[in-house]
Amino acid sequence: MFSRFTYTLRETFAGFKRNITLTAAAIITSAISLLIFGLTLLIQEGFDNLLQRWEGGVEMIVFVNAGTQPDGLEFIQSTLNEQVSVGTVASFEYCDVVCSLADADRVLAGDPTTRKLLNETNIPTLFKIVPAESTEVAFLRGLKESYQQLPSVHSVTLAEEQLDLISRLQGFVSTYTTGLWIALMLASGLLIWNTIRTAMFARRREIEVMKLVGATDWFIRIPFMLEGLIQGLLGAIGAVGIMQFVNWRWTQGVRDFPDSSGMTALVVVDGYQWTVAIYILLFGALVGMIGSGIAASRFLDV
Amino acid sequence: MIRLENVTKSYSTEVVALRDASFDIAKGEFVFLVGPSGSGKSTMLRLLNREERPERGAVWVAGRNIIDMPPSRVPHLRRNIGNIFQDYKLLSNKTVFENVAFAQEVIGKPKHVIRQQVPAVLDLVGLAGKEDRFPHQLSGGEQQRVSVARAFVNRPLILIADEPTGNLDPTTGEGIMRLLDRINKTGTTVVMATHDQRIVNTMRKRVIQLDRGVIVRDQARGVYE
Repeated sequence: MFSRFTYTLRETFAGFKRNITLTAAAIITSAISLLIFGLTLLIQEGFDNLLQRWEGGVEMIVFVNAGTQPDGLEFIQSTLNEQVSVGTVASFEYCDVVCSLADADRVLAGDPTTRKLLNETNIPTLFKIVPAESTEVAFLRGLKESYQQLPSVHSVTLAEEQLDLISRLQGFVSTYTTGLWIALMLASGLLIWNTIRTAMFARRREIEVMKLVGATDWFIRIPFMLEGLIQGLLGAIGAVGIMQFVNWRWTQGVRDFPDSSGMTALVVVDGYQWTVAIYILLFGALVGMIGSGIAASRFLDV
Repeated sequence: MIRLENVTKSYSTEVVALRDASFDIAKGEFVFLVGPSGSGKSTMLRLLNREERPERGAVWVAGRNIIDMPPSRVPHLRRNIGNIFQDYKLLSNKTVFENVAFAQEVIGKPKHVIRQQVPAVLDLVGLAGKEDRFPHQLSGGEQQRVSVARAFVNRPLILIADEPTGNLDPTTGEGIMRLLDRINKTGTTVVMATHDQRIVNTMRKRVIQLDRGVIVRDQARGVYE
């Protein structure tokens, strides 16, 4: 058992040395494609974070001054209820201090300095408003103007001011990066496949002898599959390193964006980048092993 | 040990390598397969290894019809068969020791067994002291001895030799034949395809003659005709 294990390891690393240029090409291609895969997931997560407050058909947010008394809140609520009764607003939801602080955690994830300035006493609470389907944008703009005049209202934001552009940007970026990583992943899979095929061709006499003396197909196949798996894993490790660096640089850079840009929430929160890192490692290992496994089975009769 | 029953093997509709071939080879026999090029000798050896499968008939090796054998069992069959080739098929990047040890390594023999058995078999074939040489540092006869050592190191029941003296001068060829004879005397069945008239006539072993895929002669203590 031990001699088989040492044989497998020895042959795997011999394969690496034998095919150094092709191996390097396969690892670099895997790293780039896995990096784009990881960045695609991070970008999508960033956009989701950015757009979370607009989920559920919310198209208007009324920010209420911090420290507003209950009667001030009731006045705003009754004004909103009037719109509900005439059918221009489908529903609305009040986000209290706790809810608003959680919202600030997401929105200001890229700007911790500003977030630290906010607390229970100074954070504006907010009303999320879902208009009726028949309500036109022009009417919402008029509503915004009138709500801004209400006492205790800090400001009013419409989804159209942020949402349309960001949604379009998200769709564009997601489509192209997804297409790119799928194409590159296919390329790296094929490159690994070709590396293994070349390795098997170079060792065709050895394989012939192995088969004639009674080595099983799995015994012959495993060092090649291990070689492919390691190639995929090395590419994945490189991709994770670069992705973490890019994410760190982006998160640092976002802090310098003006608050009004609305981009400070375009960051990854809750350690999601580590989940993506695990996906990348698993995906890299899987692509490497499947690519080499198919090649090893296909070209065993060299 | 080996039985062929009405075996027919063709590579295309025009090329019939073996036609309705039948014979029995007992344990410990030494058999020459003779005949002109293309008569079906190599095909017959490949059938014994399950490198080929016939269209019709049965091939029995060590009590099993290997035609019906599932592919996963074929490696186990081959562990009981040693192979020697005209072109030696040695691995040029491995030493003499490593070439022979390779046959044990790939079937999972423990290191201490390899360290014990490989020198013994190299001694048997007359290569003691040349363990660290590479194939290109050996003569043709010595390379063939390495090939014999590799084929015999796992103590197979059957030894298949396809023109083992084809690339060797007569004197060296005789040395290889003496070696195969010694191995045969240990109880190993030897089946050897050859064109070498002198060797067949000197050894006077059983001769199976093929002509265009048909067995035309099966003679105990035969000669090359």
